[in-house]
Amino acid sequence: MPLKRYKKYASLLMFTAPAFLLYAVFLLIPTLGGMFYSFTDWNGLNKSYHFVGFANFAEALGEDSDFVHSLWFTLKYVVFMVVLQNAIALLLAVLIETRTKSKGFFRTVFFMPNMISIIISSFMWTFVFTQVLPQIAEKTALAFLDQSWIGNPSVSFYSILIVSLWNGVGYMLIIYLAALQGVPQHLKEAAVIDGASPFQRFLHVTVPMITHAITICFFLTLNGAFKVFEVVYGLTGGGPGRSTQVITLNIYEEAFSNNFRYGYASAKSVILFVMILIITFIQISVMKKREVEA
Amino acid sequence: MKKSWKSVLATVLAAALLAGCGANGGNSGGADSEAAASGSGGSGEAKNVTLKVFIGAPRFKEHFDKFIADFAAKEKAEKNINVSVQLEMPNPDNASQILKTRLASNDAPDIFALHAVNEIPSFYKAGYLEDLSDQPFVGKLLDSVKPSVTIDGKVVAVPLETLSWGYLYNKKIFADLGLTPPQTLTEMKAVVEKLKANNITPFLLSYKEAWIPQLFLPLAVGAIVNTENPDFIERMNKNEGSFSEMKAMFDIIDLVNANGTDKALEVGGDDGAAAFANGKAAMWVQGPWYAETILSANPDFEFGVAPLPINDNPDATMINLSTSTSLAVSPASKNKEVALDFINYVLDDKASNAFYQALKFNPVAKVHTFETYPWVNDAMAYVKEGKAYQDPSMPQSVKDEVGKGLQAYFAGQIGQDDVLSALDKAWKAFNKVNK
Repeated sequence: MPLKRYKKYASLLMFTAPAFLLYAVFLLIPTLGGMFYSFTDWNGLNKSYHFVGFANFAEALGEDSDFVHSLWFTLKYVVFMVVLQNAIALLLAVLIETRTKSKGFFRTVFFMPNMISIIISSFMWTFVFTQVLPQIAEKTALAFLDQSWIGNPSVSFYSILIVSLWNGVGYMLIIYLAALQGVPQHLKEAAVIDGASPFQRFLHVTVPMITHAITICFFLTLNGAFKVFEVVYGLTGGGPGRSTQVITLNIYEEAFSNNFRYGYASAKSVILFVMILIITFIQISVMKKREVEA
Repeated sequence: MKKSWKSVLATVLAAALLAGCGANGGNSGGADSEAAASGSGGSGEAKNVTLKVFIGAPRFKEHFDKFIADFAAKEKAEKNINVSVQLEMPNPDNASQILKTRLASNDAPDIFALHAVNEIPSFYKAGYLEDLSDQPFVGKLLDSVKPSVTIDGKVVAVPLETLSWGYLYNKKIFADLGLTPPQTLTEMKAVVEKLKANNITPFLLSYKEAWIPQLFLPLAVGAIVNTENPDFIERMNKNEGSFSEMKAMFDIIDLVNANGTDKALEVGGDDGAAAFANGKAAMWVQGPWYAETILSANPDFEFGVAPLPINDNPDATMINLSTSTSLAVSPASKNKEVALDFINYVLDDKASNAFYQALKFNPVAKVHTFETYPWVNDAMAYVKEGKAYQDPSMPQSVKDEVGKGLQAYFAGQIGQDDVLSALDKAWKAFNKVNK
């Protein structure tokens, strides 16, 4: 018995070895290295560096007002994204599911933006925001379109949201569609016979049956929203000033353009990592409890 | 058991396949330049040397390939050395990143390009630059360029690309209205009024990218440091100065901001170049490095370079002289002799002239006699009058900070004092990190 078990693990290990090797070399080891450097004052160039203990972490959370601002800005973005992305994706999925003939068409249309790389779509939208919308406003009476979409800090938050949603909803939509198709027909029919209204059917039959998809989608959106970079980088670059700077941009700036404080930037990354870890952990453990089997 | 052997075999094969791909991909870049360089070789006695050259400017690949081939031929003829050059040209955005990784991992290229004003101080401090002071090329450098590649009295790099800049102006608009580039702030205000009276927007604003508003800082600090406050930078480096001494720079910034084009925070450099080329405004606080973009938007466009007035002292209205891409030699190089030959060949009496002209760089040495562009001549006229200064050496983080600060200032989010105190803070942080 023990030998057989050993053999089972050996073949398992061998099958995963190539992937695991690449994973370890390109992700695991650099991650651990980054954690190591977060306790140093390395500047990315010097051969020598010193251990500074938790000084980097204390500075990031205590004295660095730009980092704290970017933290709050990211949290605001995360809340809006998680709620809106899932709500819109679920709504669209339910609507598409009610169609009989044009299902494939709508699914493709809504998924399409997801196939464009985010950085390209943010450059496309920069053009829309700076050229197309003001032109439309000029030609028609829709004066509200003539905003400083990416130049005014209070408006540019919504511009970032619009582009992120436009790009991200499609992927969640596909997951929700797949889940909706998995809801057993007989449960819905039983609810109809019991006299449930369409809304009640959705709330009490469909939603519990797709909780596993909701868990996954929340996890993905939460994770993705915390790590947002390209959209902000492409649209506003964190500007004007630092008003739309998210955590990842702040880290990028610290490591690659400010004083090249790699150690300090690594400490900020570790803070981000721990934050995502804790929040997703809570999210998964809360939502897992609510999942039901058919 | 058989099964597990199969999986081992599969793993090994897969790994070999991956390794093969990797090796091919990595070599292909160097292979063609090697072939080009070794074309002239052949005799058995010749010494073989492989020189690693790192220049983050892929747009110049053709020119460098040709130049390197000429160099290899010369080395072969004069010293009987077969030089093969591994030319590495990564994207400028991450070139500096890759270079730093190489240096930190003791894998330094023999010759590498770096930004003279921004990078020489930190590279010199870390001990990555060879002292080139006694090399023949030093004597050929123009006096106006030499200080930018000198640190602690040692010349450490050979300058390739130099810049002389202030702001750009639309020559046609200025000529039509009988205007000349103003020499003082008061004159600048008169020019602005006259332009406005003729329904022409005086300034083009393009503040979407933070480095563009940032340009005010080197211009203002350079002018003030070279007139009334000469020890400002030294004192800042010792934590004894403050940017509140530089508050006067907001006079010109406010004037430009108040008389500029709309939606400045949505216009980037390229859009700005196109708008400027199409006559949307008469002046643009920007350097001639956008010449190519401007001329591609409007090939007949005529623009000039003039020094930006900061205050009412006409002596403070000067051109900023700066050096960007420069070539340095690594002290760890195993082929230092050939590397030094190459560095000297860059300013060779015969080869250099055509090389710099082909690259469209400005003359940096006495051997450069080619005809330059009109806007370069404009700037050089000021330089010859002595109305120029070396780009002040400020920490990159302070330059980044001022760009962001002036964006926020323009958006009305923060005031002048906030901008200045943020700059003080950035410089102090720099001192702390680089003590």
